[in-house]
Amino acid sequence: MERWLGIFGVALTLVLGWTLWDASQQEWEPYQEAYYREAVRLAQKGSQKEWASNLRTEIRQLQLNGHTSVERCVTCHLGYDNPAFQNFAAPLRTHSALLKSHPEERFGCVACHGGEGRAVTTLEAHGQGAVAAKPLLRGKYMQAACYNCHGANTLPPEATAGVVRGRQLVNGYFCLACHKINGEGGEEGPDLSIVGSHRTWVWIYAHTVRPQGVVSGSTMPVFSLSREEIEDITIYLMTLLDNRDRLRYLPLMAKRVVREPPAGAPAATQQREARAQRAVESRVEFRYDGKRLFNGAGCNICHTVDITGGEVGPALTYIARKRNAENLERLLKDPDEINPGGKMPQLYLNELQVRSLVGYLSVLK
Amino acid sequence: MIDIAAVYKKVTHASERAAELPARFYRSVFRGGYPATVRQQLGAVVNNLVLHVHPTRVYHRSIKTQTTFGLGLICFYLFIIEWITGIFLMFYYEPSTGAAYGRILDLNYAITFGRVMRNSHRWAAEAMVVGVALHMCRVFYTGAYKPPREFNWVLGVSLLVLTLALSFTGYLLPWDQLSFWAVTVGTNIVSYAPVLGPKLRYVLLGGETVGSDALLRFYTLHVIAVPAVTALIVNYHIWRVIKDGGLAHPSENRGADGEPVGQPQKSDSVVTTFPKVVYLELLVFLVLMVGLLAASLLFNAPLEEEANPLTPSNPSKAPWYFLGLQELVGYSAFWGGVGVPTVLMIYLLVLPYVDRRPAGIGVWFARERVVMIGIWTLILIGILATTALGIYFRGPNWNFYWPWENWPGPH
Repeated sequence: MERWLGIFGVALTLVLGWTLWDASQQEWEPYQEAYYREAVRLAQKGSQKEWASNLRTEIRQLQLNGHTSVERCVTCHLGYDNPAFQNFAAPLRTHSALLKSHPEERFGCVACHGGEGRAVTTLEAHGQGAVAAKPLLRGKYMQAACYNCHGANTLPPEATAGVVRGRQLVNGYFCLACHKINGEGGEEGPDLSIVGSHRTWVWIYAHTVRPQGVVSGSTMPVFSLSREEIEDITIYLMTLLDNRDRLRYLPLMAKRVVREPPAGAPAATQQREARAQRAVESRVEFRYDGKRLFNGAGCNICHTVDITGGEVGPALTYIARKRNAENLERLLKDPDEINPGGKMPQLYLNELQVRSLVGYLSVLK
Repeated sequence: MIDIAAVYKKVTHASERAAELPARFYRSVFRGGYPATVRQQLGAVVNNLVLHVHPTRVYHRSIKTQTTFGLGLICFYLFIIEWITGIFLMFYYEPSTGAAYGRILDLNYAITFGRVMRNSHRWAAEAMVVGVALHMCRVFYTGAYKPPREFNWVLGVSLLVLTLALSFTGYLLPWDQLSFWAVTVGTNIVSYAPVLGPKLRYVLLGGETVGSDALLRFYTLHVIAVPAVTALIVNYHIWRVIKDGGLAHPSENRGADGEPVGQPQKSDSVVTTFPKVVYLELLVFLVLMVGLLAASLLFNAPLEEEANPLTPSNPSKAPWYFLGLQELVGYSAFWGGVGVPTVLMIYLLVLPYVDRRPAGIGVWFARERVVMIGIWTLILIGILATTALGIYFRGPNWNFYWPWENWPGPH
């Protein structure tokens, strides 16, 4: 009896220790530490150095809409408003010039980029984790977000070219013969008026390539569209939102804030910046779980591994027999290079994500 | 001139008195040292607020694992764990449709220990539903509901209902698609009752549909009303165990003539409650906590996207313990929604008043009770089968699918 009490007493202590360890493991801490280190190093004036060295390691958040919504993206993306970080890698890199016209106190991050603002791990915040969230709009797909506020007429044409071309394609290919959009169209297929709120762009892309691979028993035909056409149709469909999401995109009636960027952009040479970037990359170590990323980033919508997954693309159960690691890496970075004319989409993965996916895929044999 | 010897004497005296302090404090709490003799051990139980709900001595047989599997105790511990984790969750939760889901995400993502607390609360709740059901089966199969324990069985039945009520009211609070549609379906089952059904649903939801009033009502029921009533009845239930003569024991069996059955029972050996039983209960707690915490660290409680009243999930399933009823509703709204639950409740409540024969008490699957055991087992199989059918074999539009079959439609 006393022996069992002892054994399980120790076991409980261990599990409590595990709980503590689990709570102390914060993915964002290394990013913040790297940022502070670099901020101190790059500071040019004494006052800046002092400011940077007084920064605390903590969760940072933007509170929007009169504090009803919270976005914690800036917990990792710390350099977004510091011009000294222009040449760093994500997540520390300075935001593009668009931040000046879209100040974060007013718009936050999610209105343009999508994702889950409350999360503080990469997988969950970027909509690649297990919790149902919207994956980030990346690359071309960000046009949908631009269009949602600005429409097509007030921006330079290339900013919403995908949306415009996508709508032309949807009309030109008679999608409305079967699908209804805003009250117009046929009854055969589902109503697409709010499809952008219900589906992610990865899902819409996969479904457009081969409907039966995603929705088993779908009666929608497989159209032979080019990769660009599918991309543009996806971008257009991502602009069809329900009222809740549409209201989310309405510009807030806050006073317009014009912000000066923090003074002191360093006049550093290219060489020095390249060195700094290498330094940060080597110090910020984070490994993705390749299998989790595979399922979370939406690879499994198209590809089957073992017995689970979609049937849009080829099954990957034995993919490592066919492609070596280097080949896989190039394919994931730019599908068009390895497989020109194929339907695999550009997923805008970063270096680490590509490497961890390759790590997962290259043992499937 | 300082008298060093006097100072030294004072200091040693003071330190001696200080060293006595812990022992004094212990004596002030427990009145006397560690109980070594039988007399002291009996006193240790009687004089302790927490321990005195125990009998001072129990049959050796009663503390064997296979007698009860500690199920009632496990349910009690789970209830306490629900209180503690629930209070933690209440610090952060806000019962409004605009904020609730965000608060749950905060618990998952940003709040220290938030995720493990939410997971523990959820897994302990599921375990409590299972534990209460198993405890009830144990009591039935060992004939422990027979006189003089009929009323404690009735209390137990009310605790089963309250446990389901606790779980169901808590189900809505995360305000995600899963909870929204599960509660919509669950309260629809209520509305199939004749005459009063729709009214009852209206009162439960504070409206015709699940909305902000429903959330506030479920929250109030979940955090104060139902737990308070449950806590009272749990106390009553445990107190009645000792008042009804402790755990059921075979020596209570009587033949038709009212005499003890068979040979005069050789009396089972008796152990003092302290220390053996107390230590055993502590051990059960340790094992339970290790398992629950490990499960909470490894498995996340389900959470889907924020509730959207405009897009029903298909299939919309009630919480799993109501899926048997939902399955029956598929065949007949009246029988699934009203008939079967009412008949089952009546069966459970009158059972100890009808089946009074003092035979097979304290024995698993006693041969004398073969008819009653048969009826119970049939009902149990029916409940398990319909529930499993609802959980694993029902897809979109409540059509039948094998678990390995792909559902048509988007996934």
